[in-house]
Amino acid sequence: MKFSYSWLKDLIKFKESPEKLAELLTLYLAETKVAFRQKRVIFDVDLLPNRVADASGHLGLAREISAILGEKFNYPQIKLKEERQTTKSWIKVTIKSPYCRRYLARTIWHVKVKSSPQWLKERLEDCGLRPINNIVDAANYVMLLTGQPLHVFDFQKIAFNKDKKKEIIIRQAKKGEQIITLERQPYKFKKSNLLICDQEKPIALAGIKGGLAAEVDKDTRFIILESANFDGANIHLTSKELGLKTDASWRFEHRLDPDLAAYAVDILTQLIQQVAEGEILKGKIDVLNYPSRKIVIPINFAGWEKFLGWPISKREIIKKLKLLGFSLVERKTYLLVKPPLYRNDIENREDVIGEVARLQGFNQTPSLSPKEELTLPAKNEFWEFKEKIKDWLRAYHLEEVYNYSLISQKEREILAKNWQDKLIALANPLSNLYCYLRPTLLFNFLKNIKDDFRFTDKIRFFEIGTIYHWRAKEKEETVFGGILARKEKILKQPLFYEAKGIIEGLLADLGINENDYSIKPVEKTAYSSILEKGMALYVKNQLLGVIGLPQKKFLKNYDVEGEIVFWEIKLLVLLALEQAEREYEPLPQYPAAIRDISFIIKKDILIDQISKTIQESASYLEDADLFDIYEGKNLSLGKQSLSFHLIFRSSEKTLKAEEVDKEMKKIYQALKKIGAEIR
Amino acid sequence: MELNQIKILAEKGMSPVTNQKDLEAWRIKYLGRKGELSIFFDSFKNLSLKEKKEQGDKANRIRQFLTSLYEQKKTDLEVESLGHQIFDITRPGQRIKKGHLHPLTLILREIVHSFEKIGFEIIEGPEIETEYYNFDALRIPENHPARDMWDTFWINSKLLLRTHTSPMQIRYMEKHQPPLRIIVPGKCFRFEATDTHHEFQFHQVEGLMIGENISLANFKFIIREVIEDIFKHQVELRFRPSYFPFVTPGLEVDVKMKSKANNEWLEIMGAGMVHSQLFKNVGYETNHWQGFAFGLGVERIAMIKYGIDDIRLFFGSDIRFLEQF
Repeated sequence: MKFSYSWLKDLIKFKESPEKLAELLTLYLAETKVAFRQKRVIFDVDLLPNRVADASGHLGLAREISAILGEKFNYPQIKLKEERQTTKSWIKVTIKSPYCRRYLARTIWHVKVKSSPQWLKERLEDCGLRPINNIVDAANYVMLLTGQPLHVFDFQKIAFNKDKKKEIIIRQAKKGEQIITLERQPYKFKKSNLLICDQEKPIALAGIKGGLAAEVDKDTRFIILESANFDGANIHLTSKELGLKTDASWRFEHRLDPDLAAYAVDILTQLIQQVAEGEILKGKIDVLNYPSRKIVIPINFAGWEKFLGWPISKREIIKKLKLLGFSLVERKTYLLVKPPLYRNDIENREDVIGEVARLQGFNQTPSLSPKEELTLPAKNEFWEFKEKIKDWLRAYHLEEVYNYSLISQKEREILAKNWQDKLIALANPLSNLYCYLRPTLLFNFLKNIKDDFRFTDKIRFFEIGTIYHWRAKEKEETVFGGILARKEKILKQPLFYEAKGIIEGLLADLGINENDYSIKPVEKTAYSSILEKGMALYVKNQLLGVIGLPQKKFLKNYDVEGEIVFWEIKLLVLLALEQAEREYEPLPQYPAAIRDISFIIKKDILIDQISKTIQESASYLEDADLFDIYEGKNLSLGKQSLSFHLIFRSSEKTLKAEEVDKEMKKIYQALKKIGAEIR
Repeated sequence: MELNQIKILAEKGMSPVTNQKDLEAWRIKYLGRKGELSIFFDSFKNLSLKEKKEQGDKANRIRQFLTSLYEQKKTDLEVESLGHQIFDITRPGQRIKKGHLHPLTLILREIVHSFEKIGFEIIEGPEIETEYYNFDALRIPENHPARDMWDTFWINSKLLLRTHTSPMQIRYMEKHQPPLRIIVPGKCFRFEATDTHHEFQFHQVEGLMIGENISLANFKFIIREVIEDIFKHQVELRFRPSYFPFVTPGLEVDVKMKSKANNEWLEIMGAGMVHSQLFKNVGYETNHWQGFAFGLGVERIAMIKYGIDDIRLFFGSDIRFLEQF
């Protein structure tokens, strides 16, 4: 919002330089920057939404500056020379909608429409408006001065009613009714839209834009001045529906003070006579259509210090409130406070106390430590769990990323139908690139690979974030995902096993062991349409997560090649597992006997099956730990050599060598049955 | 001497050798021109051709063995003596590969840690919110210009992506009685075109402290302490008026780095005293509780602390960026 420094100086006396004044405004009202236009100082004030109604005009801002500087503010005096003929004898105003709260009209005859004087043009341009002619410019000038939008109609273009009066009717639109605005744009209306009409036609879109039908042009001699107050919410809605936001609509949206309309129409009348001559008809039409707003807020003197935290004297409170235009009645222990009508943002006790603190200066007022009881904040287990995992992954040489939560239309197309059905779509996306909430972290990771393969051959990323599915409850799920990728495939050391190792290592560090979860091929899970192959981890029947190789069509979408392994683990499931009660196991009483075994076996027999075969064939076997896998040289194709540590222990006695030998024999036999050659 | 005996004696004789001088003596004794092996070769001049060949092959194998024994020891001694000389402490250490935490994680940890020190509890909340919690309960009515401060991604007529972490003020107060102090870190979304200073997703840390006597002066104290802690006392703070419908009075907190020349004030936080209507909305006893709330911009703080000039870097996952933290 632009303000002219010289205009403010016309309204109030102050010594402050532009920079000093801008700083004061920033600290006491709203952020203000100093700019220049042809060497003239302009203030750019980022007015807060609650202060648009009272401070968006130069008068309002000057009033605020006076309060900040501790000076009393005086309004400019208006003197009008009126004719004997009355406005009433020519004009009638009828309000037919509750959305119009007040409507004032004046009439001036014999004006001369021409270009505005230089000073007037400069002020408009300094504040960002384009000069048009002296009548329109005067209306805009008074809007910039008072904050009240005004409009001027050509008297002769408005129809007479049966009483030979120009009747202005404020009513809601009929369905499908149309107007052509001053910019020659047609608009069609709904019933909720508020129009200014005569007997025959709409002549303006209330509070937003004038119509062409009653436009002031170079031949206009007789004019009707409109100064009105409209319902803010209605103007906001219409402006949004029509996509038509104007200086006027923006001001009305912020609920202007209806009294401002009366003051502004008189200033405008005076100014038009000054720049366009003419004769002012006597009096004005003023139709009120709103209940008067009377707010009186009682505030106990004792409450001030409790709320602010610092002591403040009665005298100081009263002085500050008076500077801000509040009316006060002082009682023994409390104050009755009546805010000025232009301050529609002051509704309760804290608003009033806050205003006094603001004028004391938020930056200057004291900072004081609370006198609260010491309490230990409860631990947020989930937060700490996530942070722990991040540290762990960082130590394992993974880079943390924060990716976008939104995916594109094209990415949706790659998903299988059951995934598409559960996608959450945005009703108003920014573009096709970001229109669905991600159902998995995979998409973003693949995009990362495409982008980062320009700079590196290997990628190791992880993210802890939210994925989203359309469900009645729990639409969001926090997961920990990761990706390992390299441009070249190294057949001997598939990345899959590294990814699996990372997850197993993490689980082990969290105190979760193999007995706490089970694994299944990923093909049997919902992830099968995303992962070509891989494993799914389960806790009982609940999916904990997956590790696997993405389907080719996914890679193709990003045009990435190479070896890529992805995982996604559900963190709440993992946390529950981590928190499961773990009891201390008493230390063993008898020593273990450890034997090693090596054998050659076909690769298509799964490790899991081999381990089970060993476990089930012998007694006293506490653990069978696979410590070496060898394939290649000296072994025929399709075979591998496996070595296990076997740990035997009894809880009742020390095992004798012969007893262990006996168990070893059973194991040999069982292994031979599934085709192992013992070495 | 018998060949086997030479081999055994030579092997035995090698183990106590610890320097070049002894090694040379060993070489002369067994492999020298007048050494044991030479003497042995001399001794079978008189044997038959067949015997000569047999003994010769055997002796050659022993010579090869002794020579390799000699070479091995020589290398060992060299490495040993050189090893001391090339203990170069200026040589770079072996690189241990590790990853990096994202700058937002690092900043969030600092923020959270500072607030935890003075007793704030960490709470998290949903990213998909209802219109009620995101707007209505916070006094941001439909068709009110205040709502324009939050450009919103809608999912349907009632659900949206939260535009701030403030809905958690309501959700938490609905379930907890004061006194309370919480912070709510989380991801938020705004319907906003991206450029160097705007992103459609970003992070906030909401804060809420309610008690019987929590005052505006207390707000200033706590925020000053925490912000100075986060920035390690390298910033100046400024409090100025602002407006948010769910607080009154509303304030903005700006910081300015002490070290930088030509520095500007930068906004990092919107805040204020909690509006009494919110207490009514959550069913608290009226006129009893008071306190403050704030929303801290996490990317803003990271940008100021690390001197990052483009907010989009946070979500671009460029490895050249990630590896810097």
